[in-house]
Amino acid sequence: MVFLSCKKDRRVNYAVVNQTANDIIINKNKAKTETQFISILYANLFQEALPINELIMTQNVIQSVGDRALVYEIILSNYMNTNGVKMPSDSAMKANPEQFIIDTYKQFYLRIPSELEKNFFLNYFEANPNVRPELVYTSFAASDEYLFY
Amino acid sequence: MSKIKRKKFIKQAATVAAGSFVLPYILPSGRLFAATPDPKSEYVIYVLFAGGVRQQEATLQGYLHTSQDLDSSFAGNIMPNMLQGAMPTKKIAFGTTSPGGTVGDTPIPKILSSPLQDQGVLFKEVRAVNPGHYGGLNSLLTGNSSVAQGLKVRPNFPTIFEYARKHLGLKATETWFIGNTIANSYNLLNGSEHPDYGLPYGANFFAPTITFGSPGRQVLSNAKIYHPQDELAPMYKMKNFLDNAFRVKQGQIPSIKNTDDEKTRIKEFVRNTFQKDSAGQIPGPPVSDNGDMRTIKYAAEVMKEFKPKILVLNMTAVDVCHGNFSSYLRALHRADHGVGWLWNYIQTQIPEMSGKTTILLSPECGRNMNPNPISDENDWFAYDHSDSNTSRVFTLMAGAALGSNRGTFSPTWDISNPGAYTTDNVLTIADIMGIKNMIPSGFMHGPARSLFDRF
Repeated sequence: MVFLSCKKDRRVNYAVVNQTANDIIINKNKAKTETQFISILYANLFQEALPINELIMTQNVIQSVGDRALVYEIILSNYMNTNGVKMPSDSAMKANPEQFIIDTYKQFYLRIPSELEKNFFLNYFEANPNVRPELVYTSFAASDEYLFY
Repeated sequence: MSKIKRKKFIKQAATVAAGSFVLPYILPSGRLFAATPDPKSEYVIYVLFAGGVRQQEATLQGYLHTSQDLDSSFAGNIMPNMLQGAMPTKKIAFGTTSPGGTVGDTPIPKILSSPLQDQGVLFKEVRAVNPGHYGGLNSLLTGNSSVAQGLKVRPNFPTIFEYARKHLGLKATETWFIGNTIANSYNLLNGSEHPDYGLPYGANFFAPTITFGSPGRQVLSNAKIYHPQDELAPMYKMKNFLDNAFRVKQGQIPSIKNTDDEKTRIKEFVRNTFQKDSAGQIPGPPVSDNGDMRTIKYAAEVMKEFKPKILVLNMTAVDVCHGNFSSYLRALHRADHGVGWLWNYIQTQIPEMSGKTTILLSPECGRNMNPNPISDENDWFAYDHSDSNTSRVFTLMAGAALGSNRGTFSPTWDISNPGAYTTDNVLTIADIMGIKNMIPSGFMHGPARSLFDRF
């Protein structure tokens, strides 16, 4: 004899739990190509795309200098000396240094800073009131992490 | 001394002696022992001359006689700053153009009162071990035959820059590679991919026609000048913090590395060079109408500023020979002119290097015995490089390291038993710098020797 019976359906509700999309540490292990580096740098600083002819010309100049880091620093310094670089004002940085450093990490590194990183900069800004956004941007753009994605 | 004390003394002495063998002094460069031989000269200028030079127009001085089938009255020397011999007197097409004259009808006046051949040793017949430009340049810079060398990749074997920097502990700014182009992977020749050497020991590099030409002017000349203490110091402080947090693994950023001080110096050099250039204050060869000559004037600036222990200069203009023989002759005559000017500049304008510098020149490859079918405005045929005549080149060495050695090493050409090889040059420079014995023998082309061991 076989007994059969029905089972009542279970009602399951699915929901979405909000998560922060920013990682504190991202495993960046691929070096940017010259093209990637220069395009991203230009876009970061000027908030617009680098024209293709300028990209090719810049790429050639990069290849004409043996020390990659050195030529990147000179190009960056040229950009900083050009009209149109978009960055927060000195007063905006001083008004909310914590937000400034979070925004800078997001802009250049595509991540939020760790507490240690944030505290370093907050302490550094406090101890060095002459540090302005241009110097911070330059140090980020010239850093090793900015060479990777 | 009692018997027991004597035993103890011998034991202690042996221990100390053994310790001195197993704990040698480690130099900052990473090598264990100092170079034993004294350098033969303090500075070396190595000219990669100059894009495939046919032996018949170089040391054989055949001019149109051995290239365009004209009679022997059309022979002559078109490299008067480097070689002994009278210039051609007929159908002059290699010089500058006189007003109303034909193209190239006026030879460029000699710069050196006596040619380099009189100031050193000419190896008249040398075998180029690789018939292509990139392979040939690799063999000139690595001392290896480079038969497995691919394009668009750095040399497989260490370059002379790496040997010098690693074994002599030279700074990056003490070795320079100056080339007239970044085409054909030439910008990769400042350092190899070899795991024991590689780019950490590579040379600084400029391709001045780009770096200081129109592209460089647009991209590099407007650099901001930051105050060293008020601006650069905090910038580097923040950058160092960021770099320490990221911790790049060794080899992840493939580039030569100058110290912060060297970087600052090079940045100043770049800025000053643009300024001097705008003011027309950079001296150069009197006839500077091609890329090679413009490259030479910036090479001279680099020498004047950095006094490099090794500077390698690459010229390529004669490669026009594939399609225009007359242009090739003009480029070859100018390459000689540029070399003459550079040597004179070192001796007269850079006192630190004057009398202490050795110059070494070799083509990376020769050219064919027979022409291709392309003729130019003079109806002269052009030459490629692929047959056995391509292996036939020369090496010229002059200056401080030669001492009183003078002469021409002139064996009969025999491709299977040549008097010297282009791969000799790396060992020769290593010999001049006192590091010949530190170069791993397996890295060199088998028959390669220092040229000092060949005469």
